Amino acid sequence: MRSKLTWMLTPLLVLFITFSYGQEKTISGNVTDQNGLPLPGVSIVVVTTTTGTQTDFDGNYSIQANEGDVLRFSYIGQKTVNRTVGAATTINIQMEEDAQALEEVVVTALGIQRTTRTLGYGTDVVKGEELVKARETNIVNSLQGKVTGVQITNTGGNLGGSSKIIIRGVSSLSGANNPLWVVDGVLINNSQTPTGSRITGNRDFSNGAAVINPDDVEDINVLKGAAATALYGSRAAAGAIIVTTKKGKGDGTGATVSFNSSTRFDNLFRIPDYQQEYAMGTNGQYDSGSVGFDWGPRITGQTVPNAPVTNQPGQLRAVKDNGINDFFKTGITRINNFAIGDASEKMDYRLSATSLNQNGVLPGSSLDRITIGLNAGVRHSEKLESRFSVQYTTTKTRGTGATGANDPNIISLSNSFSSTLDQRLFTPWIDESGNQINQIVDNQGVLSNNPLWLRNENKNDRDEDRVFGNAQITWKPLKNFSILGRAGIDLQDDRRLLTNRKGTIQRLFGDFDSDELRRNELTTDLIFTYANDFGEDWALTVFGGFQYNERTFQRQRIQGVDLLIPELFSPANAAQAIPARDFNKRSLFGIYGSAEVGYKNWATLTLTGRNDTSSTLPEDNNSYFYPSASLAFVFTDAFNISGDVFSFGKLRASWAKVGNDTTPYLLNFNFNPVTTATGQYSLNNNFPFNGALAYSASNTIPPSNLVPEEQTSYEFGLDLKFFNGRLNLDAAYFNNKNENQILNIPIPESTGFAFRTTNVGRVDQTGFEISLDALAVQSRNGDFAWNTAINYSKVDSEVVSLTDGLERVVIASGFNSVQVVAVPGQEFQLFAIPHLKDEETGRPIIDPNTGRRQAGEATTLGSVLPDWTGGWINNFSYKGLSLNATVDVRWGGVMKSSTVEGLQTGGLVTETLQNREGTFIDTEGVIVTQDGDGNIIDRRDNDVPLLNAQDFWTSLNDNSVAEPYIYDATYVKLRELGISYTFSSKLLGDSFIKGLTLGLEGRNLALLYSKVPHIDPEATLFGSGADGFGIERASVPSTRSVGFNIRLTF
Amino acid sequence: MKRLKLILLCFVFISGTFSSCDDKLDINTDPLAATSADPNAVLPFVFVQYSSRKVTELGTRICDVSQYISNTFNSPKNGSTSIFLTGNTWGMMYNQILGNLSLVKADAEAAGPTSNNVNAIATILSAHIYFELTSIWEDVPYTEALNGQDFPAPNFDRQEDVLNAVVGLYDEAIALIDNRQLDGEFTIQTTADQYYGGDMDKWRILANSLKLRALMLLRNGGASVDAQINATLGQPLMSSNDEGAYLIYSGAPGAQNAMKTIITAFFGPDNESQNVFGPGPPIDNLLRGSGDPRYDLWVARNDLPAPELAFFPDNSTSVLSNNIIRFDLPDMLMLPSEIDLYKAELALEGFAAAGSADANYRAGITNSLRWWGQDIPGVLATLTEADITGYVSSLPAPSIVDVYEQQYLAAFLQPVMAWTHVRRNQVPVLDAPPASTIGTTLRRFNYPPDEVTSNPNTPANLPTETPMWFEN
Repeated sequence: MRSKLTWMLTPLLVLFITFSYGQEKTISGNVTDQNGLPLPGVSIVVVTTTTGTQTDFDGNYSIQANEGDVLRFSYIGQKTVNRTVGAATTINIQMEEDAQALEEVVVTALGIQRTTRTLGYGTDVVKGEELVKARETNIVNSLQGKVTGVQITNTGGNLGGSSKIIIRGVSSLSGANNPLWVVDGVLINNSQTPTGSRITGNRDFSNGAAVINPDDVEDINVLKGAAATALYGSRAAAGAIIVTTKKGKGDGTGATVSFNSSTRFDNLFRIPDYQQEYAMGTNGQYDSGSVGFDWGPRITGQTVPNAPVTNQPGQLRAVKDNGINDFFKTGITRINNFAIGDASEKMDYRLSATSLNQNGVLPGSSLDRITIGLNAGVRHSEKLESRFSVQYTTTKTRGTGATGANDPNIISLSNSFSSTLDQRLFTPWIDESGNQINQIVDNQGVLSNNPLWLRNENKNDRDEDRVFGNAQITWKPLKNFSILGRAGIDLQDDRRLLTNRKGTIQRLFGDFDSDELRRNELTTDLIFTYANDFGEDWALTVFGGFQYNERTFQRQRIQGVDLLIPELFSPANAAQAIPARDFNKRSLFGIYGSAEVGYKNWATLTLTGRNDTSSTLPEDNNSYFYPSASLAFVFTDAFNISGDVFSFGKLRASWAKVGNDTTPYLLNFNFNPVTTATGQYSLNNNFPFNGALAYSASNTIPPSNLVPEEQTSYEFGLDLKFFNGRLNLDAAYFNNKNENQILNIPIPESTGFAFRTTNVGRVDQTGFEISLDALAVQSRNGDFAWNTAINYSKVDSEVVSLTDGLERVVIASGFNSVQVVAVPGQEFQLFAIPHLKDEETGRPIIDPNTGRRQAGEATTLGSVLPDWTGGWINNFSYKGLSLNATVDVRWGGVMKSSTVEGLQTGGLVTETLQNREGTFIDTEGVIVTQDGDGNIIDRRDNDVPLLNAQDFWTSLNDNSVAEPYIYDATYVKLRELGISYTFSSKLLGDSFIKGLTLGLEGRNLALLYSKVPHIDPEATLFGSGADGFGIERASVPSTRSVGFNIRLTF
Repeated sequence: MKRLKLILLCFVFISGTFSSCDDKLDINTDPLAATSADPNAVLPFVFVQYSSRKVTELGTRICDVSQYISNTFNSPKNGSTSIFLTGNTWGMMYNQILGNLSLVKADAEAAGPTSNNVNAIATILSAHIYFELTSIWEDVPYTEALNGQDFPAPNFDRQEDVLNAVVGLYDEAIALIDNRQLDGEFTIQTTADQYYGGDMDKWRILANSLKLRALMLLRNGGASVDAQINATLGQPLMSSNDEGAYLIYSGAPGAQNAMKTIITAFFGPDNESQNVFGPGPPIDNLLRGSGDPRYDLWVARNDLPAPELAFFPDNSTSVLSNNIIRFDLPDMLMLPSEIDLYKAELALEGFAAAGSADANYRAGITNSLRWWGQDIPGVLATLTEADITGYVSSLPAPSIVDVYEQQYLAAFLQPVMAWTHVRRNQVPVLDAPPASTIGTTLRRFNYPPDEVTSNPNTPANLPTETPMWFEN
């Protein structure tokens, strides 16, 4: 502990050696455009420091600076202005429009602010206000459609579920495809650990970054290429997402208070096209227990002796949409944010409190979160300033949906609903003695669970406390030299409790699973910066520093089965308690440096280098160096060719090589204590068994000479602005080569082991990105404007090689032999069993004895990654009225839907109505006759009838055939729509209200194009912690949200 | 000067951070794992993991292949062996069981004769696993197996060679037991040896008995092993149920037989109410009306017809009894009835050393009846000695078919052994399942895709209706 404290404090202590109070002061003023109108959002930085601010709505600013400091005022489309601070405390600026100086300031790696014109790589900045126009509860989802080259997936309408983001395709075979998240310079964890498995029923609990509060975000900068992220070292090989939180602003008139409130209503996004003509049952016979299997008789209002649920004589009637709207509720989300901020000569601060309260569409599901954020800075003197920010979040999630298989708690569109099953009959679900009532009873009298019992009596809870923040001190002992020390922490305490109440069918004796996870991350940085201009033409910025990063993961889990007293979840109340413990710790020490040389502000060459030493690699190979170089060349300035039409042009090029370490504890051969002897269907046994403890050897041969993973990449980009910035184009081409991937490769188990850890394989990504934004229309008086932006990204991720003798590597497994695999020469593929086909005609070969299709050999059936993704964002404004809409597109790739499989094999959907009662011949099929050598000597159209329509649909997936349920995963969605009205200051008059905006907002509003029937094509089986794509099963259905929003500023 | 001091101080602090750098980075040892393990801790894993996987994969899934159960979920009976069934079974046998056993054996060999006892147990269990591997897949790696260093892609040995090697391993184990060094011998904890509590005499009997099992397959395949059989018959063989090899399930949570937990996990309280496991047609044919007491012990509602092949039982059919489908049903590796009935078979085939065919036949049935009605741990419904002798003495002198039928019955709830018996004896004659895609019963598993893709020496899969060498 003592040693850890030393590590945390060292960079800070360095800076506390001396305090040198100087002539600090607050500079304030007003910034206007060339017409004298106030300019809000102008970036003001103290050159050579990270101190910066922005002008407020009325163009006012205030910033701490010392005499002799240079303030740089920059704003897109305006000439950058530099002013040296003198005796005066007020500096008013009138900016000039200048096509040659269209620049903005972005936060890059390690929190370094740079102007975009000097960057030799592409970045994508999303402003905080874009994130709260139609708010998302998981910040990852709010980036959908807004950033070029990212793909975002989530597991549907599961409250508090995870979202996965990948940048520029997949680069890793081992699952390291998640970008690094950085908040105010501090690395935070975006990990996700599911409780349970896809085989035993999974709970998709949230990813780590989901707690970042969109209301507190100033902007998000998505760093995509290796050159952009090289200074972050190994962990940013899959990109980095740099979040900057809001700081307090002040104009000397007192604190600014803002209040932002949204209320939103969620409903099912898509309801399957359920058939309503045939009842529950099999082969035309009614069965009251046949839920999700509607192959019963035609519904004619007949009376049956055992109506569903009541088990009493009653009439069979079709229930609209199979009662799905009776089961799923209207979800309500309320988000309220209150923030107060101020700034003066000496300090600035912003305190923010946000409450999020959600009730999900799934009965019994809710999420309550409180977020408190503080961001404060003090300017002690002209040479010393300190800054502190912290966010605390506490989240309670209840009733998370179960997904996957083999868990009675799974509610799915295919297995839980039937044409003649009225979901309202399930209320009530419990009697006074705590027994389950109103259950499903089949014709044999066998009981199944009441789904409302499952939802209301069985717990799926998660409580999380999370704190992350940082403290930093900047000391500027010399005019051009500064030292920054920063310590950041991220603490996560995540407690889950899953229970099955006694009396739950399939878990009759009651059980619980208490799973507690703790993650700590500590990052300290010490950065030395020197910046100077040499003459008129040359500018030099050099910095170097150290970073120490330490990550700890702990997990303690107790599973208890067979409870004596119901609803008492103590290990001592369980006939058997199975404890498990997990721990790992890793550390990394980095030394880095950067030199940026600018010439005449039109050419900037940046060279960086970083050396990491990792605890996870072999001692003689644990240190690795990676360099990067990037060049920004503003050719319009260099050749002086800018004009009113062609205003700005920049070429950029970069090259980088980065390394990557691996997970802890891979190097030693171990015997592990074992608590579970595994069996099929998770029918496990446990140790101690008959009094004996157990140890088992690791099934993996440790590596003998592991080296770091290596990514080499280059990127070329073009940044063009026309008509003084009214039309902007940004294009990039990139190529990444990922080699020496550290992977557990499967080896023949006949060697006694299952895997060998080694460096293996190569995955390449090449891609092209383009984004175009335009102020398409603007009325002469400026009242009306239409801004439109399009982004497009095409990435090919090719598995170039694996290792000798290895045909494919399984990336993830689904169900029924469906896998996501890496095969050389291709993108990640869906690997599954198709029907046996006639090679000549491509038609399925029918078994002449049964009329059924037959299973072929498992094969690759298409890429699970999209061909391209894109977004189209529009904003129309007229005076205070604003309308914005975001459409996003995923084009290409395939997905396998187990929900559609269940809907079709269960006879639940309209396509299964065809020939329900007549003769059913699979006319797509062909019957072939072979000679003794297997040569086909005759083909004829299939004329062999199946038993009936049920036989056709239920035999389609015999022998694990998945092909009929594999679809083109393309979709086009209306992602966001928002209308808002901002009251003018004239309307608000002299009231205490400074600003008022009212808005209507909607998310996930419409599926404009999709080839996947019945379900949301975005649904996926895999949470963000798994490296799977392209497989869907029993997801909680996704939702469409509409609501309203009030934003108030005092 | 002041500035210089300051800069110097900075460097002192920075170098301070460097000096502790090595300590901070030297943390890559898992605090929750061990670098070596006592055989007393590894053997329990082997016993229990083998049984847990075997009962769930093979016990619940392939028993309708030999048809002692009418129908099971995810069964390969129609000719297709899924990648999960084959992969899980292969991985369990080679990696989890043989992998650990080979490490135990290597340690014991290094320790010398004082560890002969542990070495023998590891050798016997390894031999048994190879026997099951070849029973399921025919040709499997043996010579080059478990030595990834020299053979990263092991070649496959022919079934006859594997079976001969298995016999050799039993001989090796018997020699180890016969040459134990008792002074300073490694202490096998009673709980570590889940079969015999460290009783090496019983292990020697088991080794000899399992050797006879392997020789019976070799003989059926046409190998000249009569002399070895005679020699084996001359050594102590299993003769009473207290010498049987089986894993006891206490029935408490975490120690429950999966034939029952599959029902409680997915259906309801028990087999009779949930209709999961029903008697297969051969069980019904052999036992109904025969007077064999096992009919009442095994089959409930047995006045109703049995479920048809490939159908689950329902309320209109008989069903396997809660008397046997229970949490504390032991998992049987070998029982003495099997040995008695081999002897009866050999006696009928002219092996004088096997003794009397009639006596062995009756002893086999008696041992089986005693097992199910008296000796099986957790016995519920019981048989009296009078019930047993009354039935056994009523039987006529056996024909070879009678012996084969009794071998089949004696292997009830032993999924691999029952399948091996019907393939070796072709008795009882099994109908092809109605939806079979191979027109016959399943004869073999396909190799698991994980082995196929990672081991280029894996032979091409034969159609699953292809008989094995031993079926000759």
